[in-house]
Amino acid sequence: MQINKTKKKQNTKPNKVKNIINIALAGNANVGKSVIFNQLTGLSQTIGNWPGKTVEKMEGHLNFLGYRFNIVDLPGIYSLSTYSLEEIISREYIVSEEVDIIINVIDATNLERNLFFTFQLLELKVPMILAINQMDILRKRNLELNFKKLEEIFKLPVIPVVAVHGIGVHQLLEEAIELAVYHQPTSHYTQDGKKIHDKLSHDDKKFKNKLSTKKTFKFPDLSSILTYGKEVETRVNELIRNIDMYPEYFSRFNYVSKFLANKILENDEEIEKIFKANQETPYIIDLADKYRTELEEIHGEDISTIISSEIYTNIHKIIEEVVIVKGRGEKKLGWADKLDHLTTHSLWGYAILILILFGIYYFTFLIGDFFGGVIEDFFEVLSNIIYDIFGEDDLGVKIFWEGGIGGIFGALGGVLVYVVPFFLIIEFLQDSGYLPRAAYLMDRFMHFLGVHGKTIIPMILGFGCNVPACTGCRIMETEREKKISIALTSLVPCAAVMTVVLGLVGRYIGITWVLILFGINFIVIIITGKILNKVLPGQCTELIMEMHEYRVPNYSVIAKQTWVRTKEFIFKAMPIIVISGVLLEIFFMFRLLDPINFILSPITVFWLGLPAITGIFLIYGILRKELTLVLLALLANSMGTTLLGLLTPVQMITFSLVTMLYIPCFATVVLIAKETNWKYAIQIAGLEIGMALLIGGVVNWGLFFFMSF
Amino acid sequence: MKSKFESSKVHFKRKRKVEPLINRLIDCPIGVKLKVLRVNTGHHGHHGHHAKRRLANLGIIPGVQIIKRKAAPFRGPIEIIVKGSLLVIGRGLAARIIVINENSE
Repeated sequence: MQINKTKKKQNTKPNKVKNIINIALAGNANVGKSVIFNQLTGLSQTIGNWPGKTVEKMEGHLNFLGYRFNIVDLPGIYSLSTYSLEEIISREYIVSEEVDIIINVIDATNLERNLFFTFQLLELKVPMILAINQMDILRKRNLELNFKKLEEIFKLPVIPVVAVHGIGVHQLLEEAIELAVYHQPTSHYTQDGKKIHDKLSHDDKKFKNKLSTKKTFKFPDLSSILTYGKEVETRVNELIRNIDMYPEYFSRFNYVSKFLANKILENDEEIEKIFKANQETPYIIDLADKYRTELEEIHGEDISTIISSEIYTNIHKIIEEVVIVKGRGEKKLGWADKLDHLTTHSLWGYAILILILFGIYYFTFLIGDFFGGVIEDFFEVLSNIIYDIFGEDDLGVKIFWEGGIGGIFGALGGVLVYVVPFFLIIEFLQDSGYLPRAAYLMDRFMHFLGVHGKTIIPMILGFGCNVPACTGCRIMETEREKKISIALTSLVPCAAVMTVVLGLVGRYIGITWVLILFGINFIVIIITGKILNKVLPGQCTELIMEMHEYRVPNYSVIAKQTWVRTKEFIFKAMPIIVISGVLLEIFFMFRLLDPINFILSPITVFWLGLPAITGIFLIYGILRKELTLVLLALLANSMGTTLLGLLTPVQMITFSLVTMLYIPCFATVVLIAKETNWKYAIQIAGLEIGMALLIGGVVNWGLFFFMSF
Repeated sequence: MKSKFESSKVHFKRKRKVEPLINRLIDCPIGVKLKVLRVNTGHHGHHGHHAKRRLANLGIIPGVQIIKRKAAPFRGPIEIIVKGSLLVIGRGLAARIIVINENSE
């Protein structure tokens, strides 16, 4: 198309397609990166994975001032070491060809800690813009920042931003255009600088150079802030000298020499691999080891502490120069503090947590039941029309309408209407800042299960639906913890399971047994945690978590995040549900599943004491757990009786128990496989089936013996 | 004027011990200004080292001032204020952070 034209005629106007600027948003967690990302990319966002990894990649794009911006929202991280996969992925991406400019989003109310990461980014010498967000909150505290001074210090554009109100957000893109066109940053505070900014806004903005922005950019000399103490600097310079002896080799990796030197001195595992992969360079590792030992001897501390110390010292000097205290001094927001004390209180904190859990539940079911009913009624109306036209027993109707479309409506009315209000309230809790408090309160108990406090968050999510809950386990720092968290989360009774338990045991037997069943579920979770802790190698890491001040949640942020999560759910979970629904409908039609009942009957009839037909229902339950109850009810209906006539109380208990504990729903299994691997997913499924059957049988026979006396 | 409680006062004074100034973070009282001396982590294995590096990245390094804000019940994690913001640290790790009472300097 147009690309061919440009190749032939070099002198025509540069093709619009070529005016692409690739941006990466980098910064700590909770600084407002996502808000900025949402503002810029809106509905064009897609969530994928980084190739071959289980870390989320958030991408979006927009057209602005004649340029096409591709924006990637990197995960919130605190450094560029090899502590986690997110850090490794982020730094490799930032220096790759795919990024032109990074926007470092900084929380103005947390400047010192945020600047630590800024310093890490500066080491990469990539074109960069500093966006200082949450200026409104800072100003409410009677503090102000000297942006002119900040630009003098960093020699890069420093822009004040209030992301939740959209202030300064598009200016970031204008700055990016300038950096791309002029190849060097220009101050906003000098006469010449202002002229250049003016000129650009009237200029016909097009790329003047076809080379990538990174290669043509003149990164400023920041040695005044990036220099460490003399003992460190001399050794780093010696390492740089050695690295520079092999330019052709190291240029392959896109890292500047100083970065490589610093990292090899700090014993960075990934960077070490680079030095080892070559015949000539491993000696530099030995040199770095020698220097590291020397420095650790001199300072009496390990290398990461030494370097961090140096960086924080430099940051402290900057803070003193740029933070201005206005009026009567710094003012702390009172209500946030009080709320924090209340929600982490030894007594009230837990009371509030329980209240919130119930609240989530109540809210979700309230909305879900309402809209679920609406959708069900709608489907019925449509079904009657279809039946009138095609007749009820038509094969096409059965497979296509009841299986396919019915599956879609089922997923919508049975699952989505619960999942969306659930996401809404979770995002509300997340944005307001409550979730870390919950993790804080629950950490001790979580350790009992073999994980730490953060796992409570996906587990709370699991009460609504296991699918987004297992995705939520990505917040775990290590692979091991993620695996354990996912397994435990899949055991949390989701809304579908609750429907079965309440609809069967709750309705026909009583609340006592419902509570007993939950108790058993809880014990199973603990046992699973203990088993996995012994079996999986490694140790549980300690909780280290930043707790942000409470803030008034921003509704557009919540709405957008909810939409993003819902979209993910629709595209990941629903296709599986619908397709399996169609397949199962076909099986049911042609009675292909009858032999299964026969095969399973030793287990279902003898061991679990259930009627043989429940074998098929449990198979269906793998698709969506509430189907077990739905099908039972349908059967009872068609036989002209109620559920009581179909199952004895003991059978109801056993049936609910097995539904609660056995394999997670199929969409969850697939998700677990995606997040970890298929082997683990199958192992977990097997473990859960085993436990369900074991406990189900024990309960059945236990009650049998108990009642015989 | 000698009071009849004089002797018991002396007795009382002898019993009172001087509070140790260097302590583990978990043993310190709430609200007191503390200065980090060092973070002890095992020399064996990566895990201790990672935690120490992570703390260093977040600003917990020798010389930094922190305030212990709260301790979760049931021997749970500790909440501290460092560099103007709140950080939560698991109890096991907090036991390895050695601090000194700021006021004693």
